[in-house]
Amino acid sequence: MVDLALKTLFHDRLRFAITLAGVAFAVMLVLVQVGLFLGLLHNASLTIDKIDADIWITSKNTPNVDVGQRFPEGRAQRVRSVPGVARADNMIVAFMSMTLPSGAQDNILVYALEDFRRWGIPWSVAEGDVEDLKRGRFLFLDETAERRFGAFASGEHREVAGYRLELIGRSRDARSFTTTPIAFMDYRLAQELQPAVLRGNAHYILVKLAPGADLEAVQSEIQRRLPYNDVHKREEWAARSRRYWITNTGLGLNLYLTVFLGGLVGIVVVAQTLYASTMEHLKEFGTVKAIGGSNRDIYRILLRQAGVAALVGFVIGAIPAFAIQALAAGAGLQVVIPASIVAIVFAGTIVMCAAAAVISFHKVATIDPALVFRG
Amino acid sequence: MVVLEGRDVRKSFREGRETVEVLRGVSLAVESGEVVALEGPSGSGKTTLLSILGCILTASSGVVTVAGEAVDPRRPSRLPDIRKRSIGFVFQQYNLFPALTARENVEFALNIKGVRGPEARAQAERLLDAVGLADRKGFFPADLSGGQKQRVAIARALTGQPAAILADEPTANLDTQIGAQILDLFRSLAKRENRGLLIVTHDPKVRAICDRVAHIRDGLIAA
Repeated sequence: MVDLALKTLFHDRLRFAITLAGVAFAVMLVLVQVGLFLGLLHNASLTIDKIDADIWITSKNTPNVDVGQRFPEGRAQRVRSVPGVARADNMIVAFMSMTLPSGAQDNILVYALEDFRRWGIPWSVAEGDVEDLKRGRFLFLDETAERRFGAFASGEHREVAGYRLELIGRSRDARSFTTTPIAFMDYRLAQELQPAVLRGNAHYILVKLAPGADLEAVQSEIQRRLPYNDVHKREEWAARSRRYWITNTGLGLNLYLTVFLGGLVGIVVVAQTLYASTMEHLKEFGTVKAIGGSNRDIYRILLRQAGVAALVGFVIGAIPAFAIQALAAGAGLQVVIPASIVAIVFAGTIVMCAAAAVISFHKVATIDPALVFRG
Repeated sequence: MVVLEGRDVRKSFREGRETVEVLRGVSLAVESGEVVALEGPSGSGKTTLLSILGCILTASSGVVTVAGEAVDPRRPSRLPDIRKRSIGFVFQQYNLFPALTARENVEFALNIKGVRGPEARAQAERLLDAVGLADRKGFFPADLSGGQKQRVAIARALTGQPAAILADEPTANLDTQIGAQILDLFRSLAKRENRGLLIVTHDPKVRAICDRVAHIRDGLIAA
């Protein structure tokens, strides 16, 4: 079978290149923007995903993990007595100010627990032993803080909330949505640093179930015993934390707009070039009809051209997107492009190009067949 | 045997608020193996008649029969099938696909008519051999002369062994010598393969190779 669609496409190389550029630009724009957004969202629930807790207890209507509201720490006792609970510990997540060697002050996001190892946090330790945190006024700081605070090393001291603490270790890849550097310290130390608000209070209770315990049953029993708290399964809480940033900050709208604009750019460029190409080849399509071809034969040619433009344009657009992902990682910026997003963007590219081709259908359907006789 | 016939064919077009009657009751028949020239001044209705007999347009009224099959003007969706089975076209401007080689141009027409694969390729090569282009099969239209392009167009028109071939000013863009060769080729193919051939022309030389000449003027066949 002679492939008129492909041969015509490759015959007019400049036009094909313009079409590909439009598709590739749209693909790259959408992949990078979605990747950046997913990278941010990934950070929004990173600690929830990593901490080895089945259930998170928060104060009522806490919107996300970074902005916990305090409640009396004694409530953990009530949770520990619930059947099916293996352990339950209080946790503090609080912003505190750190004085840098330059004299400037900046915020850190402190995660404070009595036993870090038990909850698998920090999940990646670059230097030091988290067990040592409970032995004094010590601090672990995540490596990502270097970008904001400058280089630091174990043995150095930093002033946190007016108290001099020693850096005894570094974690790796602990990030917050707000990019505020994450630090780890002992639970009692955190209360000591901000006694007015934290003494006798916690922000969260982490719950680990006993083997074989029914998650739903334990969750509802805790909720019954703590009516003034919210009790979330880990995945629910992670989703809620992510959703907050999507719906409450305009970032979601930003993403949708970017994807829409990327798609629109793609459709406009592809539609424009395909339509111009159709107009240019109108007499050829008339000839296809004259030799017995139907509108459907011509639609098939247009769709095939659009499909090839989508496929090649997608590959050309995806390559720089992954290159940007690698470059961004080097700059400490996360661009997350999972296979599912690649598949969705590919399907979207096919639909976009098919939609662009359909715009030409009407013109083809209304070709005056006698056109073939005109000089 | 009549392969192409129009009886009392009328065709009107709307032009703004006016209706223009281009054909006003034309009757014309072409038999198999017969070469007929259709002559007439510009605007006389030649191309409209060619379009209707070629099942590209439908008549406003009258009867059109192609290879024994009556064309139903109420079912325009059937026209591509009739064109595919029974009619071959040769155009003044050749209308070859510039992205396809000579062989592919012919093979594509065969594909449209349902012949695929090696069989289509073999038939395309045979047809190009028959029109004297055995050594130009792999050439693109841009690399062929006007006469060679028209030969490719003739080979393409012969695909699917149509009962009738309709040619619109086939020598208009060719010089005298090449035009004469093309006309000879037309006539010999029509006779050898027993096809009905209707040639719309202004060219007096065409008359010389035709069995019959029909004159059209103001939408009517002159006596």
